[in-house]
Amino acid sequence: MRTIIMSPKKDFRISVEAEVISPDRLALLDIDQIKKLAVWQGNRQHILSDLFTVESDDSTATAGDTTVRLTGDFSKVKRIGEGMTAGVIEVQGSAGMHAGNNMSGGLLSIAENADDWLAREMRGGKVVVMGDAGNYVGAGYRGEKCGMRGGEIEVSGSVGAYLGEHICGGSIRIGGNAGDFAGAANQGGTIFIEGCSYLPGAEMSKGTITVKGTAKVLPSFQKMEVVQIDGQAYQKYAGDLVDNGKGELLVGSVRMV
Amino acid sequence: MIIKGGIVYDPANGIFGEEMDLFVDKGRMVEQAKGEEIDAHGLLVMPGGVDAHSHIAGKKVNTGRIMRPDDSRLGTEPRTGTCRPSTGYTVPNCYAIGYRYARMGYTTAFEAATPILEARHTHEELEEIPIIDKGALTLFGNNWQVMECIRNNDMDMLAAYMAWGLRSARGYGVKIVNPGGGEAWGFGGNVKGLDDPVPNFDVTPAEIIRGLAQANEMLRLPHSIHLHLNNLGKPGNYNTAIETLDLLKDIRPGRMRQVVHITHMQFSAYGGSSWRDFESKAPVIADYFNSHHHATMDMGQLLFGSATTMTADAPLEYGNARLTHNKWSNHDIELEESSGVVPMVYSRKMLVNAVQWAVGLELALLVADPWKILMTTDHPNGSPFVNYPEVISLLISKPKRDAEMALMHDQVQNRTSLSGIERELDWTDIVIMTRAAPARILGLQDKGHLGPGADADITIYNLMPEELDASQNHDLVKKALACAKYTIKGGAVVSKDGQILSTPPGRTFWVDAAVPQDDADRLMPELEEKFAKYYSVQLSNYAVQDAYLPHAQVIRAGLSVESLKEVA
Amino acid sequence: MSEAKIIKDAICSFCGCLCDDINVEVDEGRVQRVRHACRLGSSKILGHGRIEHPMVRKDGRLVEASFQEAYDRSAQILLRANKPLLYGWASTSCEAAKKGILLAEEVGAVIDSTATVCHGPSVIGIEEKGLPGATLGQVKNRADTIVFWGCNPVEAHPRHSLRYSSNSVGRFTPQGREGRKIVVVDVRETRTARNADKFIRVNPGGDYEVISALRMLVKGKGDLLPQEVGGVLKADLAELADMLKAARFGALFFGLGITHSRGRYKNIDNALSLVAELNQHSKFVILPMRGHYNVGGIGQTLAWSSGYPMSVDLTRGKPYFNPGETSACDLLARRDVDAALIIAADAASNFPRSTVEALADIPVIQIDPYENPTTLLSDVVIPCAIAGVEVEGTAYRMDGLSLRLRKLVDSCLPSDEEILMGILGSVHRQRQMMANQGV
Repeated sequence: MRTIIMSPKKDFRISVEAEVISPDRLALLDIDQIKKLAVWQGNRQHILSDLFTVESDDSTATAGDTTVRLTGDFSKVKRIGEGMTAGVIEVQGSAGMHAGNNMSGGLLSIAENADDWLAREMRGGKVVVMGDAGNYVGAGYRGEKCGMRGGEIEVSGSVGAYLGEHICGGSIRIGGNAGDFAGAANQGGTIFIEGCSYLPGAEMSKGTITVKGTAKVLPSFQKMEVVQIDGQAYQKYAGDLVDNGKGELLVGSVRMV
Repeated sequence: MIIKGGIVYDPANGIFGEEMDLFVDKGRMVEQAKGEEIDAHGLLVMPGGVDAHSHIAGKKVNTGRIMRPDDSRLGTEPRTGTCRPSTGYTVPNCYAIGYRYARMGYTTAFEAATPILEARHTHEELEEIPIIDKGALTLFGNNWQVMECIRNNDMDMLAAYMAWGLRSARGYGVKIVNPGGGEAWGFGGNVKGLDDPVPNFDVTPAEIIRGLAQANEMLRLPHSIHLHLNNLGKPGNYNTAIETLDLLKDIRPGRMRQVVHITHMQFSAYGGSSWRDFESKAPVIADYFNSHHHATMDMGQLLFGSATTMTADAPLEYGNARLTHNKWSNHDIELEESSGVVPMVYSRKMLVNAVQWAVGLELALLVADPWKILMTTDHPNGSPFVNYPEVISLLISKPKRDAEMALMHDQVQNRTSLSGIERELDWTDIVIMTRAAPARILGLQDKGHLGPGADADITIYNLMPEELDASQNHDLVKKALACAKYTIKGGAVVSKDGQILSTPPGRTFWVDAAVPQDDADRLMPELEEKFAKYYSVQLSNYAVQDAYLPHAQVIRAGLSVESLKEVA
Repeated sequence: MSEAKIIKDAICSFCGCLCDDINVEVDEGRVQRVRHACRLGSSKILGHGRIEHPMVRKDGRLVEASFQEAYDRSAQILLRANKPLLYGWASTSCEAAKKGILLAEEVGAVIDSTATVCHGPSVIGIEEKGLPGATLGQVKNRADTIVFWGCNPVEAHPRHSLRYSSNSVGRFTPQGREGRKIVVVDVRETRTARNADKFIRVNPGGDYEVISALRMLVKGKGDLLPQEVGGVLKADLAELADMLKAARFGALFFGLGITHSRGRYKNIDNALSLVAELNQHSKFVILPMRGHYNVGGIGQTLAWSSGYPMSVDLTRGKPYFNPGETSACDLLARRDVDAALIIAADAASNFPRSTVEALADIPVIQIDPYENPTTLLSDVVIPCAIAGVEVEGTAYRMDGLSLRLRKLVDSCLPSDEEILMGILGSVHRQRQMMANQGV
């Protein structure tokens, strides 16, 4: 097991892009090599140790045996864990945009909040956020038919709009509320929202979206039967029928406005 | 500059793989010169590539970019000291187009289809494409003025209008796409065949094609009409191809060349009556070309993977979008044309795509004379142009074709004759199909060959043709063709081993055809009426201004050039 | 030079209509009279108070400076910045835009246009669904059914109706207005609505659902719909759906009413799908009512240069596009910008308050003919000649058609293009100096 600990050396005013912070990128490097990796702050290229303190024992390990611990304020550091396939990243505070972009394995845990585009185009692995997350959790890239294809995302708090847009596979669980258009264009993923949402499942073609709390439902969803899941009653809908969708929407409480 | 000891292929001048030196002075090929020496001993040397049909500039190309950030994010290359940033795979940005053609050894590319009303946009983009020389073909096949002239059988006014249109658009030649269908699409319709009258205009596609062909020859334009057939992409459409070709058999050419160039023939060589019994009719088409001499074509090869279809055949694009459940852009242009853009993915496991892939190759292999068929992919409809080396490696290697077919849907053997074709094209064939023939077909006298006076556009590939068994080593061929050892444009080395060394601006060729003043005078009131009543812009703001062609190369035609004389 | 003359077919550089039939009387080097333009365009062409000299902020006050000083100071600001934003572009020519993109590449900046507060959501919708459109002349010549959704052309695009839409006359529309059905869909009855055959009032934020309901009706699935959707009775929606399906040629024009209400780009996305589906029944096109006369042009220029039409981040040397992250408003709201160049747009007037506060905290360069609220925030102010009045240049109409703006009168002021080249030149020189000093 190898643990690498990083901490910002200062407050970042302009956001930092640090896609090198990933077990895959760091595992086989010694600490001096790690310190020299390139990170960007706007149009300035720096080395990692310009912006972050880095501590680690000097062993190398496989990505799967590596834990990266990020302490301090990483809320303006983007692309943490991008493309990771194994290992663990623990963000002890908040993480910036695009945390876990494209990841296909391993565990990304965020103790506070995650910014927009958490785990964009995720393929596998697991993301856990104890606080809230922003817009486009588990979503895709503009113009792509398919976004998230696999893996698991859990957010204890609430999330912004467009949760899981274009999701094709994998699962997302939200402990709080989700903003507008959760699960838009769902093509086969599973989304569970403990709280409320607004117009979930727009243009959904497959997959399941469950909103335990209140949701406004699109007129293009067909009301089906009431189902019982874990002692909770849900109104089931089929849709989105604007495009002959065969998705399943379960709503705990339907609102009219 | 002196290029020493290359194995030179210059078929237009009867040179088929001779070891010789080449001499360049002031951007032209010359008999003797001094200067920088480039060692090309044993290496394959040929004129710079000429792409006669590619969608590289203009409204629909840009629409492709705008609607496909998912494609733009592929192929991203950062700016360097010499190069601006590149983006895109099927819809590259302007800079990527220039750099990628140059890296591949191409030095000229022609935009396939431009509506006159939006030609200004095309020229803005062409001007942004570095290095290569270019031109743009101008659309005429759904044009109100054209259809009215033809209905009135007024060939003189038609010729005057075409000359005026080419001048307004700074176009190079006459492009016709699904004639009549583009106008029918204005109200959501299409035409079903050559004799299907165009609603509201009382002409048929056959009449449009013949009329434009006749007027094209009256004007003695350097290029013949360039035709995208009706019924493109439909099973059984090979009949339309043969009928159309027969329609033009008796047209007398105004220059020493074909009277019609059929573009991306692959999409028009289909048999069957539905997608279920879809099959190749390439052998029938090839037979026709082997026994007739008034037409040429280009392949329009389809390759597996991502593509973006973009064409003035708007009803076809609407059909594509519905079939594949894809995003769809449409753009109808008042009084002139229609167009559509739809992303596509072609798959080996889809029988239809596998047959389409085979059809393009069959056409090239079954036509005996390489001067009649150009190698293209109708970029980016069949595949992006960066994949030309893949097409070439398929044409030169039967083992490669066999290996590819083994990965495909197993029914493809029954639907095409490709597996039975042994022929492998040689370097002479390839150089003709990608350099000499496109230049001749387009009427570009200083391109596609290396004789004295030609533009010094030369490509040196890292291949030794005398030592290499191209068929067996098709992967080496593909690799070498993808990245020229040297690409020389106008006598300057622009690319070396894939690195762009300089980015001079290219020239834009356009044709200025002179017509009798009387005809021009008769035309104006008709045009003035159209602008006053129907166009949404003023006549005085319509034509492309000089400011948009800072690097123009004008070719004269019409009364400015002599007519061909018949020899007893 | 001082002879009176009439310039015909001038092109108005105000709104996305880009009317090109304007007649301008010029005398004594000034525009004296404008004919055919609407009052918005006339006002621009006739001109009003201008900034006369460049200004640079010294000790908190803007003082007069030379152009070179202004260029040098601008270059300095941009070179120092880690993440400069080059914003605006909608009211200047493509020639200026080209230089702006080059500048963004050179200094490593984010470049964005006013689409960010206007039709940016439309662009995102187009990225999802494509744009089934046409040139405005197609609408004029063919359209028998026109829908204005979330836009009010009578006030925002005054000549649109006569030149291109409701009241236009064309080859297949000889009856003009009488041969057409005009429908307005909006949250309130606008002046355009009062001239329509049918007005449908939608609840604010209800557009997405209404569009979904229409799609259902077009597909013949109306039975499944509730009696009211988004504040509209199903019966009215059914009538509208039938009208749209029965059109010979339908055109849907849309504006900020749906790009900036709840749903934003999803509204446009849904509308694009509706129009695509209508094409199974009738010929239908959809066009955005672009506001500024050349917001289309900066979009086209950026797209062919970088692959993307707006919100392009070039800080790392390669174009990166992600509206919501790389768009001007979002960057400023997060204070993720440390310098701004604002050209041909009045950011301070059109941006949300938090972003204006962010602008106040960073060095700002303004290139504009007119003083406006952005001037108050600026550290460098550079006046320019006006494209379409004093400078030729290229602009793209709301339907994507490009025209060449004419020069009507002379000006001593440099064009936007020249100013940007001045700044670029200074950037090169300063970089060279830094390199020589081993910095």
